[in-house]
Amino acid sequence: MSETTPRILSPHLDSFTSRTVRLVGKVVQLRGDQATIDCAGNMTAHLNRDSHLTVGNAVEIVGKVNPDLSVRVLRATDLGREGSVDFDAVNAVVDATHRYKEIFYAD
Amino acid sequence: MGDNYGYQGYSNANYGGQNANNNGGGFMSGSQQGSQDSPNGQKVYGQESLRPVTIKQILDATQAHSDAEFKIDGSEVTQVSLVGQISTISPRATNIVYKIDDGTGTLEIQQWINSDMEEGATKPIALEGQYLHVWGRIKGLQNKRTVSSQMLRPVADFNEVTYHLLEATAIHLYFTRGPPEGATVKAEGGNGMFVDNNGGGNVGAAQGQAAGKKLPAKTSAIARKVYHLLQEAPQNNEGLHVQNIASQLGMQANDVFKAGDELLGDGVIYTTVDDETWAVLEY
Repeated sequence: MSETTPRILSPHLDSFTSRTVRLVGKVVQLRGDQATIDCAGNMTAHLNRDSHLTVGNAVEIVGKVNPDLSVRVLRATDLGREGSVDFDAVNAVVDATHRYKEIFYAD
Repeated sequence: MGDNYGYQGYSNANYGGQNANNNGGGFMSGSQQGSQDSPNGQKVYGQESLRPVTIKQILDATQAHSDAEFKIDGSEVTQVSLVGQISTISPRATNIVYKIDDGTGTLEIQQWINSDMEEGATKPIALEGQYLHVWGRIKGLQNKRTVSSQMLRPVADFNEVTYHLLEATAIHLYFTRGPPEGATVKAEGGNGMFVDNNGGGNVGAAQGQAAGKKLPAKTSAIARKVYHLLQEAPQNNEGLHVQNIASQLGMQANDVFKAGDELLGDGVIYTTVDDETWAVLEY
């Protein structure tokens, strides 16, 4: 099992199918064990029992990308109200992750 | 300061003996970590640094031999700071081991417990799933990297995580590509404007990321002009006299003196045969 979990955004999902990744986004909608999360674009997350998400809050998801580009959640961390996380900085980290991947992840 | 340096030499000379002590047992080195003020546990006291890193950088760090300092991007690291999400916590009799994951890898962090610590300090201070900010030292034991922490605390604001990763990237780029481009461009601009015929040569020098030749960012334009003239002048031990500089640059001797004071203050030039003759300090 790969121990690195690259940080990505919704548009990158198709390059990371069947890999474990990290996404930070805003919870848009909760529907049973499914959630819609906005990480520079909406994506669908299949939650596990331990996930406690709140609509409108920021969340960090560690999960595996399915072939249909939804994400099976392994761990979800609530990051508080939407305004408490600087999404520009989060996106900058994603950009740095792939631009200078030598310090972030191996292919 | 002077005393300090004298002592470092002494402490380095005894390095072998101390190191044997350090590797003698986990608890031993741990207790030395705990009392950071004591110089006994320190190896390269003069080059202490605290560098923000990702876990992948720690796992990729190189070590010339088992007693050598770890190197990241070719430069020695003594202490590091890192941020990661806790996957497991294992409290033990003498230490607490936190396994953390920052997305770039996983690493065990050892927090040593001193018998003289207060009651509350011997219990884990964070929960699994929380982010932890750790300051400590890289240890390599049987091909396994760990970090022995001097201090750690849970992260309350997620922005600290993003900030740390961006800072680690910035420092990585500083070591691999040299100082930020903005500063280099500025220095080049100065060359181009004031010392036309030397422009070409200086551009090369500035891009060669030679840290020793870089003037502090606050250096005035006049001081830069004088510095570059000194740099380009035919090299001899004497350097150039103030009158000579003034006539070559077509400046008032007064202004040259001011520029000289600035450069002398920054320690980039030095006086040679008398107070009015300067040469570039090369190192």
